[in-house]
Amino acid sequence: MRRRKIDVAALPGAAATQVDDRLTLATPLRKAFNKVFPDHWSFLLGEIALYSFIVLLLTGTFLAFFFDPSMQDVQYNGSFTPLRGVQMSQAYSSSLHLSFDVRGGLFLRQMHHWAALLFMAAIIVHMLRVFFTGAFRKPRELNWIVGILLFWMGFLEGFCGYSLPDDALSGTGLRIASAIVLSIPLVGSWVATSLFGGEFPGDVILDRLYITHVLLVPGAILALITVHLALLVKQMHTQWPGPGRTNRNVIGVRMFPGFAVKTTGFFMMVFATIALLAGVFQINPIWLFGPYRPAVVSAASQPDWYVMFLDGSTRLMPAWEIRFHLAGHAYMIPAVFWPTVVLPGLLTVLPLLYPFLEARFTKDRQHHHLLQRPRDVPLRTGLGAMAVTFYLVLFVSGGNDVIADKFNISLNAMTWAGRIGLLILPPLAYYLAYRISLGLQQHDREVLAHGIETGIIKRAPDGRFYEVHQPLGPVDEHGHSALEYQGWSVPKKMNRVGALVPAIRGFFFPVERAPERELPEAPISPAPDRQEISSH
Amino acid sequence: MTPGDEAGRRRGFVARLRTRRSVPRGRLQRRVFAGARLVLALALVGGLYAGLTPHASAEDTPTLSGAAAEGKALYDRSCISCHGENAQGVPGRGPSLLGLGSAAVEFQVTTGRMPLTMQGAQAERKPPVFTDDQARMLGAYIQALGGGPQLPPGNDLHSQGDIAQGGDLFRVNCAACHAFGTGGGALSSGKSAPSLGEATDRQMYAAMLTGPQNMPVFGDNQLSPQEKEDIIAYVQNLKSDQDPGGFGLGKLGPVPEALVIFLVGIVFLVVVSLWIAGKS
Amino acid sequence: MSRHAETEQFDVDDPRLNRFDLVREGARRDGVRIVHYEPRFPVPGTKREKRVERTVAGLFLLGGLAATAFVVGYIAWPFHYVPGANVNKLYTPVLGVTLGLTLLLFGLGIILWGKKLLPEEISVQERHGGASPRDEQRLTGATMMNMVDELGIRRRPLLRRAALLGLLPVGVVAAAPLIGGFIQDPNRGHILAKTAWRKGIQLVRDDMTPIRPEEVSIGGQMTVFPGIPEGNTNKYGDSPTLLIQLRDEDAAALRNKLAGVNQGSMWRNFVAYSKICTHAGCPASLFEQQSNILLCPCHQSQFNITDNARPVFGPATRPLPMLPITVDSNGFFVAQSDYKQPVGPGFWERPDETTQD
Repeated sequence: MRRRKIDVAALPGAAATQVDDRLTLATPLRKAFNKVFPDHWSFLLGEIALYSFIVLLLTGTFLAFFFDPSMQDVQYNGSFTPLRGVQMSQAYSSSLHLSFDVRGGLFLRQMHHWAALLFMAAIIVHMLRVFFTGAFRKPRELNWIVGILLFWMGFLEGFCGYSLPDDALSGTGLRIASAIVLSIPLVGSWVATSLFGGEFPGDVILDRLYITHVLLVPGAILALITVHLALLVKQMHTQWPGPGRTNRNVIGVRMFPGFAVKTTGFFMMVFATIALLAGVFQINPIWLFGPYRPAVVSAASQPDWYVMFLDGSTRLMPAWEIRFHLAGHAYMIPAVFWPTVVLPGLLTVLPLLYPFLEARFTKDRQHHHLLQRPRDVPLRTGLGAMAVTFYLVLFVSGGNDVIADKFNISLNAMTWAGRIGLLILPPLAYYLAYRISLGLQQHDREVLAHGIETGIIKRAPDGRFYEVHQPLGPVDEHGHSALEYQGWSVPKKMNRVGALVPAIRGFFFPVERAPERELPEAPISPAPDRQEISSH
Repeated sequence: MTPGDEAGRRRGFVARLRTRRSVPRGRLQRRVFAGARLVLALALVGGLYAGLTPHASAEDTPTLSGAAAEGKALYDRSCISCHGENAQGVPGRGPSLLGLGSAAVEFQVTTGRMPLTMQGAQAERKPPVFTDDQARMLGAYIQALGGGPQLPPGNDLHSQGDIAQGGDLFRVNCAACHAFGTGGGALSSGKSAPSLGEATDRQMYAAMLTGPQNMPVFGDNQLSPQEKEDIIAYVQNLKSDQDPGGFGLGKLGPVPEALVIFLVGIVFLVVVSLWIAGKS
Repeated sequence: MSRHAETEQFDVDDPRLNRFDLVREGARRDGVRIVHYEPRFPVPGTKREKRVERTVAGLFLLGGLAATAFVVGYIAWPFHYVPGANVNKLYTPVLGVTLGLTLLLFGLGIILWGKKLLPEEISVQERHGGASPRDEQRLTGATMMNMVDELGIRRRPLLRRAALLGLLPVGVVAAAPLIGGFIQDPNRGHILAKTAWRKGIQLVRDDMTPIRPEEVSIGGQMTVFPGIPEGNTNKYGDSPTLLIQLRDEDAAALRNKLAGVNQGSMWRNFVAYSKICTHAGCPASLFEQQSNILLCPCHQSQFNITDNARPVFGPATRPLPMLPITVDSNGFFVAQSDYKQPVGPGFWERPDETTQD
């Protein structure tokens, strides 16, 4: 018998040829490998959200094997003794079982919850980056919209998720949600009873939230993420201005191997962060809350952080209710309606429209692939600061009872501070951000014209003191450089222009010799007519 | 005990409670304004009274047991300036303690709330001035003067309790103010429900029995002694139970979790991304 | 086009070309210019390179160690709940720290590899964004318009209208079963306006035992439920009620201010308020027995219980409804009727006037 010789080294090549023969992949595949990604730390923030979502899918699938959303009444008989014999829903009982009687169940539940918090936090931070750098401008408005939808989908997904265990805290949240739905004019009561299958809490809501949480919303998020990334690939990433970088190119490293290796490492780091958080910090200890009962509540009842701003707005809302009679029947719009339906509505619509509004007011119809530094667009930066402050006041107010208790402040005073702060602080933030932007702009121009402040003070023969400036370019007879601002950071310290000797490498002991280098006697040679400049 | 007897006892109890309740409302408002004056008065008058009281009290309370007599000596030294001779109260300074019973005295004194050092929205827990024994003596004295609710003997008021039963009662009756994690919580206008972290069995029992400050009263007619022990058993179990999921973040709910995700999670990952994108 | 010309000139089989020349050419055809490409360590095997290699290798090995620790901990560490402070409580931290370290070390290793060992590279890719060329737009537009014309919709209005008219019910057919199954009439049984309380229903504790007046302490509160089967369960989520015995002077104050709708609802010094907040439905049950305030922990609405539970602070707008109570011939608390106002959060068609039992 003759054995056929197989050249192992040639196998991958041969297989690749066979695949390409059928799928014609060589060109598109190489194109994908060669895609260039720009390198900046702020471009990695969105990836945190992406990788958190992957962790959410992995851990959530595990949890789904053990969780049962039934609202049927059962008696708990698991290993958590303080609740043994207590009547509770099957959903809560299975959550306890998952936490105490499934190996590693509590760990995975905590990972799932921390990943959810991180997912939403990363979305917010990523969105702030995109907003303040103007990355949402034409042609990326659509991706900005997809991003906003992703936030609200994540919001909904998170709310459904933390309502599922049917503990007393989540049930309280659900009760508030039902009140919010009830408050919608005209259809509120119909929508609420339809959602809950009758009166709150009913016995179907968890099944409905469950299918929403594990299928409908994750499906929508997955689809939106696909669109988000497809648009990113199609339109290519924005980049910061800098040497050689124009509106017509992308400068960075190719996807393989440089970018891929780093992003894989980053995925590991995100995963590691979630695992460490889940192991070190306890989250949502449902066993303390007991089963949900409409008569049970706890001090410091808060939703998860991404819902907290709505809780804050509800707390700050004055007791204003609209009541009127029409054709002999009384009608009303409850106070809950404004901070929980109208406000989130505005918070959705305004950001959705923002790219178009900005383009309209600036009459800017160009394509933009170069980012802007926040200081160069003071108006947008100011508006952003205003929005962030508005959000922060609401967010802090969402936890104002805990702050009041832990810092011995009157609860009523906290509420009033929030109400007043909500009106006063955002305009103040706008003003400050605007002024700071202008100041930074001006300083950039000053350094470009006059040079870097060296910190070296000299005394002129006539007794005047002046600081020596290191010009960044050739100077005219007044010592001014005619350097154009390029929209990118201007060196403001001497070691940014190579004035210092490179440090010797090695953590504990030097691993290499510092290169021998002739040092100039003085690091700075002032231009002959420095006096003129520094006398300004 | 026949039902009639029980009802009679309860009426008597209720009546006693009523007499003591006539003071506090006006007191609270006046106290706020009298704060500084009170502290001064405490220092000045306290010493004087110590010398004056023995002959004054001899007429009203002819016989006192050993503990009560010792309690009286302590009372006359430290409490009389505000609560007055024979615990009858001093208008504008302190309420009458008659009918309050030893339980209330023991709660207030062992938690350090009394003697009061500073007027505020409410008396806060602080290191006690008196030892437990002294507090019991004071309690015996007040008990001898006007009667009132008393604590059962012994320091262990939880090991006979049913934890699961207590959990149900705790969640319906206590969690609203003291929170699921027993960390306490804010009430209106600067008042707060304290953390149960340092509370002993006897203090919790006394608090339920007497309803100190703004806490509702859970008399023995409302929560039976067994139910009180159930609740105490649940709370003590909860406090001694190590968190199974890592550091418990004070069991304060989503607020500290929000801090952690930003200050730890996001900050760490931003540092990592700075490092990844940094020049090597 | 010059690019095509170059492509033709480039011979991939030219033996003089090394592999990187091919890489560069491939990138060039993809619109990418590799403008800077140099190994981190031009001289192989320097002390520094070896050190970086050792570091990365060390990280991977340590990561493997941590992963082993995770597996060992996962299998061997006791995890069942045992009350108190014990090693079982460290199960989750053990898993978290070992898994976290595993991933952290691998992550560090991979990133370090990418940063220190991969060649330094700067590539420039051309952007080809923007609108399609005008002729392309025209051609696609014409194709699309032709599709419409081919269907003849414009020429055949009858067909168009018939299709629209016919499709409308079809759309409803698709939507009806999807939405229709959910719809519940809120007015059936007045579920939003009524609770389980009726005349003569006993006020019971959580354990379903009835309550005598002397069983509520003065300055005390008790959460009570309707004394009907399952009265204390989530089936009657609107019914939990707070029974309070006021002190004499507070009861007198309340009696003086008693609102019309609440006339006759108190029994001696006892008053029963709905525990369900009129703002968002949380149990407003933080009872301050001296300041006579009920606080809701969800949004800090505060209700003055000596003034018909009128809201005095926070976002709540309506007082907590008062349950009319009395004591029956057996000496137990019973309800006189249902609440006279709807309990809980407001809604559009919430009746303003007193509801009849």
